[in-house]
Amino acid sequence: MIPLATAHLKGPHIDFAGLSPLIALLGGSVLVLIVGLLGSRWIRAQAVPSLSLGALGAALGLTIWQWNAQKSIVSGALRIDDLALVLNLVLIAGAACTVLLAWRSLAAREAAHGEFHALLLSSVAGMSLLAAAQNTVALFVGLELLSIPLYVLCATELKREHSLESGLKYLIVGSVGSATLLYGLAMIYGATGTTDFAGIASALSNGSLATDPLTLTGVALCVAGLCFKSSIAPFHQWTPDVYEGAPTPVTAFMAVTTKVAAFGVFLRFFDVALIDTQVSWGPALAVLATITILVGNVGALGQSSLKRMLAYSSVAQAGYMLAGVVVSTQLGVRATVFYLAAYLFMNMAAFAVIVARERQTDLGDSIGALAGLGRERPLLAWPMTISMLALAGIPATAGFMGKFYLIDAAVSGGYTWLGVAIVVGSMISLGYYLPVIAAMWMREAPAATSPNDASVLAPTPGPLPALAGGSSELDEDGGPLSGSQPEVLVVAVLAGAATIFFGVIPQPLFDLVHGAGSGLGLF
Amino acid sequence: MSIAWYLAVSAIVFSLGAIGVMTRRNPLVVLLCLELMLNGANLALIAFSRMWGNGDGQILAIVVMTVAACEVCIGLGMIVAIYRRHLPIDVDELRELQG
Repeated sequence: MIPLATAHLKGPHIDFAGLSPLIALLGGSVLVLIVGLLGSRWIRAQAVPSLSLGALGAALGLTIWQWNAQKSIVSGALRIDDLALVLNLVLIAGAACTVLLAWRSLAAREAAHGEFHALLLSSVAGMSLLAAAQNTVALFVGLELLSIPLYVLCATELKREHSLESGLKYLIVGSVGSATLLYGLAMIYGATGTTDFAGIASALSNGSLATDPLTLTGVALCVAGLCFKSSIAPFHQWTPDVYEGAPTPVTAFMAVTTKVAAFGVFLRFFDVALIDTQVSWGPALAVLATITILVGNVGALGQSSLKRMLAYSSVAQAGYMLAGVVVSTQLGVRATVFYLAAYLFMNMAAFAVIVARERQTDLGDSIGALAGLGRERPLLAWPMTISMLALAGIPATAGFMGKFYLIDAAVSGGYTWLGVAIVVGSMISLGYYLPVIAAMWMREAPAATSPNDASVLAPTPGPLPALAGGSSELDEDGGPLSGSQPEVLVVAVLAGAATIFFGVIPQPLFDLVHGAGSGLGLF
Repeated sequence: MSIAWYLAVSAIVFSLGAIGVMTRRNPLVVLLCLELMLNGANLALIAFSRMWGNGDGQILAIVVMTVAACEVCIGLGMIVAIYRRHLPIDVDELRELQG
């Protein structure tokens, strides 16, 4: 027995460099929460979002600093590799756009800015954790750290009952998804005796464990749980309701970053830990992807609410991206990550325009709010047009390159019919993306005298009403909401420009995602 | 005792929770049923942990308990907020947002 006095206490080695992006996000979250308590109204409304942008910037810098790192940290719980780092970049960009969109939003004001941004940052930290998770404990913690703040964020517009409702609905559906996933993880743990992804993979690679009923039940439950999170049919029913009810900046955040994190974990968990059961889950996921593409695209037809339409569209996009997971090749991983990045630009452009119009008109997110935008506000109309064309997969946009890459991956992975499903889905999707463009460029702006009537979009004779200021319309909630909103315009224009840029010159993005595919040990 | 019994109980608890979430209308009961689902999974984790003789499953179970507590806090908070707005405390009546 060693006397206590002479014993050397050897703490575990902590790789702070690898953890630094997470520390920046969580530290930023605490800081923002404290600063949000300060009295001055100006500090709350301006300094808090600036600080959270600062925290995101720090996390971005630290992520770039860690570039090309290939290491496991926290005793193998997290893996810092190109996949995690690229996904981190996309997540941080998405969160930064959300902070800008929420700068003057009602949601941030009602949730007392500090809390809103603290929740946002901790949710991003959860996503970053999830993208790097390398054992099932980290996976579950990351998933919940992502979800729990999001439930609250959905319900932040406390005075609007739809917001509360969507929060509660998301909480219930999301928790069912988490519980299902957890039961699946328990089954896989029972079959393999380890929570480590590499351990699970090596246990499944020898013997008949890969076809064991316990393993397969576990895999099926995991698929169901993750499908709830990434809104893949038939587990997508919550998506339109929650997207419509949540405050628009939060919807933008949910639509983009949740997908990034969920597909990050899909790629790592299924293509690393469960790769030897690929013969079982591959075809099942391929069928789910096809159903998702059809359900999402058909559901979006005829929606008059833009947020609802984009919700169904995000279901369809999740189906496209699932094709990259199904094939479980390096090409598939790259295509999925490429599409996630393209998806960020396309969706942020669209949501920024919706946020801007929600503040300028009182038609909310109805498609009528965009009528006549082309003539009136070309700076908003162009990003929306680009975004719709890109989501539909028109050439010279990032969406086309992404779909092309995914179809390439599906065909070379032996799932040609899945590639065909993507093409058919894109054709259907024109049926709901083109009316948005038509509304902006071919219709007249609605008259200001009947702003409440969303359904009547008859062209109004005479000079166009001046909606430009529009500050008086939303005054019932106290304080001017609109007026000039340069930050929203910046998000819309930048995201739209990036969509075009990476559609014409995709090489930088190709180079970025190239390493993401090779880190997982796939062919 | 065979591990099959523990698994059977955990599966029953999980299924009861799942059925409850789908059929019950009061959000409080739905939250309870969610807890049942998570605890069913916990039971399976602890049984497997015992079977394998390592602590991994128990660690996950402890993490799950913490997370479940957080989830319930949020859920109860939202129910209180809805109650204060005098909205119906009934999942079926919260259907203005319909899929």
